[in-house]
Amino acid sequence: MNNKFTKELVDDLASKLLIGLSFEENKMVLDEFAIIDENLSKVENIPNIETIEPMTHTLDDFIFTLREDEATSSIDIKDALRNSDATEGREIEVPIVVGGDN
Amino acid sequence: MNKSIKELHDSLKKGEVTSEDLIKEALEKSHDINAKYNAFVTIIDDAKPTSLTDNLLSGIPFGIKDNYSTKDILTTGSSNALKDYVPFFNATAVQKLLDAGAVPVNKTVLDEFGMGGTGTTGHTGIVKNPWDPKRMTAGSSAGSACAVALGVYPYALGSDTGDSIRKPAAYCGIVGYKPTYGMISRYGLFPFASSLDHCGVLTRNVLDAAIVVDTMKGIDKNDMTSWDSKDINLYKSINGEVKGKKLCYIKELCDLNNYENPTEELKSHLNNFMDKLEIFKKLGIEIDCVSIPKNLLDALPSVYVAISCAEATSNLSNLTGIIFGPRGNGKNVTEMMMDHRTKGFSPLIKRRLVIGSYILQKEQQERYFKNAQRVRRLLVDAWKKLYEKYDAVILPVGSGPAKHLDGSKDILTKDTAPLEEHLQIGNFGGFPSITIPDGFVNNLPVGLNITGNCYDDANILNIAYALENAMEYKNQIAKEVR
Repeated sequence: MNNKFTKELVDDLASKLLIGLSFEENKMVLDEFAIIDENLSKVENIPNIETIEPMTHTLDDFIFTLREDEATSSIDIKDALRNSDATEGREIEVPIVVGGDN
Repeated sequence: MNKSIKELHDSLKKGEVTSEDLIKEALEKSHDINAKYNAFVTIIDDAKPTSLTDNLLSGIPFGIKDNYSTKDILTTGSSNALKDYVPFFNATAVQKLLDAGAVPVNKTVLDEFGMGGTGTTGHTGIVKNPWDPKRMTAGSSAGSACAVALGVYPYALGSDTGDSIRKPAAYCGIVGYKPTYGMISRYGLFPFASSLDHCGVLTRNVLDAAIVVDTMKGIDKNDMTSWDSKDINLYKSINGEVKGKKLCYIKELCDLNNYENPTEELKSHLNNFMDKLEIFKKLGIEIDCVSIPKNLLDALPSVYVAISCAEATSNLSNLTGIIFGPRGNGKNVTEMMMDHRTKGFSPLIKRRLVIGSYILQKEQQERYFKNAQRVRRLLVDAWKKLYEKYDAVILPVGSGPAKHLDGSKDILTKDTAPLEEHLQIGNFGGFPSITIPDGFVNNLPVGLNITGNCYDDANILNIAYALENAMEYKNQIAKEVR
């Protein structure tokens, strides 16, 4: 087990993700990560593993092309606002950010 | 609704039934089964009939997994974080089915955001197996598998990041197909891990899977990973001729001698699989046993978790409760978002996001994320090497029939066997992959899987069609056995 992965680090990561963890949830993360760490430790024993190019895209023969820069219609403002719990006029309402208590 | 798509189309054409009749039956069945099996988030009671056209799907009801965006219809991802979310647009795949005259009648329960394999983590509760309610359906396309198996309609949409279509299909005794990556646009599908996510379908026979995907597929300007498949017609390409085809299975996964203290269910499952291979050989198919390095197979579950968690951490960062989702409490925006995410995500999601975040940290990337991606390449290359000689890899799905709900823990444990997780290789490589039922163990259905090379979907479906016809489990409807 990587000894850097501690309860405190788990809480810190969760906080940065804006997630609150209970004691039990924190322990579950540590337990699951211990298994991942153990299994991936074995990967390091594969000869020349560091020379393998990481696979980041699913189809390695896929040709990505940039679309033409064409203007398209945007969504209706009512549609954009309809799933927010707090709106005012044409805008989403939030507490003051600049100079506020953030 | 127990019939195939073609049979229903013919009945509509002859005037034996109307689209209205089919919708009424599907809605009644939806309400009947939901109380017992909990398959649906939403039942669309005001579903309207459509006109019969030459498209085989016209007028026929179907189900949609609740992570596909549906215009003006609740779409939750089975998460409290989006429990009231109503999209203003349809996912491309859904729109294509609507354009064909297909009629959605319900939205099906999934493991929250597709991030589970048990059917137990949706915000509306556990989906139960239609053959035995004490067992799980598997997931994440749990409600779709349950409803198709119970004959609510001939097909339902699923999504598959690790095995989320193909394992529930096996546990429920039906067919589950995910085509080559990018054949179906992912636009409007809630993302989990973008390099692994596939759209697909659950049906009761292989031809129906071909018919539905023929309509769902196609290049889409809104999904840059989609590709042009207009020259592929899956349904018309299926002829059942398989003489001379070559399949292989993996010794390290299928040989009982590799397992210490195998359960009776595992023994029966593997013996059944080997017995079925003998039947398939009589069709003129050559089937070989091949070997894959065990260290690669052993790493598979952790590689999947590392890659999928890392990608999910990024994909779910837009869930703040500000623009959509229930607004959290707090005196500032940060506190509001924290409250929303803490209350909205289940422990499983939180766990995966934290692990993903750690893996992506600069200091950890090489050891965890990049090594996982390297093993992904080694596994994909190993499978592509097999495809130089073989049409497909054929393997049993999981270690037996559906697992008991009271023993379910959707957490990676030390005894997680590569046999349970090998379908993830289909996602690593974007390979076309289909599960079909291949028998019963302990009176519960089990399945086998056929996975082939990218873009070879027609060949894979044709093989699956021939194997399906050589067995007796096609079009089966779930009957509660205990």
